[in-house]
Amino acid sequence: MQLQEQDQFQDFHWMIEMLQTIDVGVVVLNKEYQIKSWNGFMENHSGIDSKDAIDACIFVLFKDMDEFWLRHKADTVFKLKNHAFSIWEQHPYIFKFKNNRPITGVAEFMYQNCTFIPIKDLRGEIDKIAILVYDVTDTAVNKLEAIKVTEELKQLSRTDVLTQMYNRGYWEETLVGEFNRFARTNRVSSLVMLDIDHFKKVNDTFGHQAGDAALKMVANTLTQTLRDTDIAGRYGGEEFSIILVDTDAKSSIVFCERLRKVIEKSEIYYAGKQIKLTISLGIYEVHTKLSTYNQWIEGADAALFEAKNSGRNQTKIYKYKDH
Amino acid sequence: MTQAIKFSEDSRDCLQEVSNVAMGRAADLLARLLDVYVILPIPNVNLLEISELHMALSSLEDSESVSAVCQGFIGSNIAGEALLIFNDTSFSDIAELTHFKGVIDKNIELELLMDIANILIGACLQGVSEQLDVKFSQGQPVILGQHIKVPELIKSAKKRWKQTLAIEINYTIENRNINCDLLLLFTEDSLSVLKDKIDYLME
Repeated sequence: MQLQEQDQFQDFHWMIEMLQTIDVGVVVLNKEYQIKSWNGFMENHSGIDSKDAIDACIFVLFKDMDEFWLRHKADTVFKLKNHAFSIWEQHPYIFKFKNNRPITGVAEFMYQNCTFIPIKDLRGEIDKIAILVYDVTDTAVNKLEAIKVTEELKQLSRTDVLTQMYNRGYWEETLVGEFNRFARTNRVSSLVMLDIDHFKKVNDTFGHQAGDAALKMVANTLTQTLRDTDIAGRYGGEEFSIILVDTDAKSSIVFCERLRKVIEKSEIYYAGKQIKLTISLGIYEVHTKLSTYNQWIEGADAALFEAKNSGRNQTKIYKYKDH
Repeated sequence: MTQAIKFSEDSRDCLQEVSNVAMGRAADLLARLLDVYVILPIPNVNLLEISELHMALSSLEDSESVSAVCQGFIGSNIAGEALLIFNDTSFSDIAELTHFKGVIDKNIELELLMDIANILIGACLQGVSEQLDVKFSQGQPVILGQHIKVPELIKSAKKRWKQTLAIEINYTIENRNINCDLLLLFTEDSLSVLKDKIDYLME
């Protein structure tokens, strides 16, 4: 009999020993949020000894803890007798611990996934909950890094290197989006195509680097003139395209003329030589009869062509005709 | 690959009944938490080819923007995943029901999504496990995506297995624009165990 008791004690001992040393935080709380169990993982990472932790209220020990959130989470466990989970994407940590790798780790703190478990007393009532704390810093850092890189790549694949504006591919995607939006909402937008006048001459007279400087100047001026909602891109060579959202052709003229005048007055200097530029612009307001976004581009192109033919340095509007 | 398991009409009915009880319990918890009337649908039980998984999502249109969480479960030789898919238009109503005030950003949406997922997935699994007398351990939930389209959601499913048993439960809330789909998917190698358990239940 005595032997059996000793065996049971042995079993109990090694189980506690294991609980103390596993690399997962184990905290038990009662309904008053007093700590009833605090294992080795929690002691080591928090620097709080279990003799100081036991019976202390968790919100007193951890002043910067999100009390409202934890109570809400714990309440559902007490009430619904359900497991509850918290993941690092949702809440980076519950206990603010230092990174497990203080020297080579990049994260400032330990990212944690936590599981909340209801614990029954001898009568089957839930009077305590356990919180298991998993260190998921490496997973979190890798994933955050991957998201960042994907975002950077996305940005890169959308950007024209020289002008830092949207490139044609991405700009056209947004044009399709805008064209479809119009079909749904019937709120007009206008498309503007603009082209630098006699750009070839700039290249031939001053060299390609001067041409690049000219492109950059136009791109910068354009970017500064845009409203937040407008979407501009480099369409090709010396041609730029702009979607003026929620703007009819008449209002678009104001934008185009302002831009045209600013560029006309600007001077750029390349290798000590002054270069003066002008631009021509074509406007086409979207129309319900258009069946593809390409027809929208063609219309704006036609207006631009007319502006060029009428002596350049001006804005023309294209009127809807049956295609 | 194991031979395709066939469920008899009876077994399927029985599984449907098991899901019914489990789903009802989950709905009850949801109703209590949000203090609303939850409309109970009849769960859809289907043996599907994995390539047809999107057909299990019958209540969601391909074009809808959704957010989803999944959670693995395993125990007693039965394994699977629970998927909770939320129509993104539901969030403002859920926030209202949970008395959340303020701007609903992606983080708040995630918080709401996780809250509801905890309740529905937990209660459903508990309901199933009690009736079939099995014990499941649940893994940590994983976000499948926020603001994505339904086809993007399941394209990541690798073709490791051919068949899946899918229980689809569509929860809607009365007078509210809240629509979410809970899917319990069982792996192919769980099916024979599941079938035994159900046959036992029917005896």
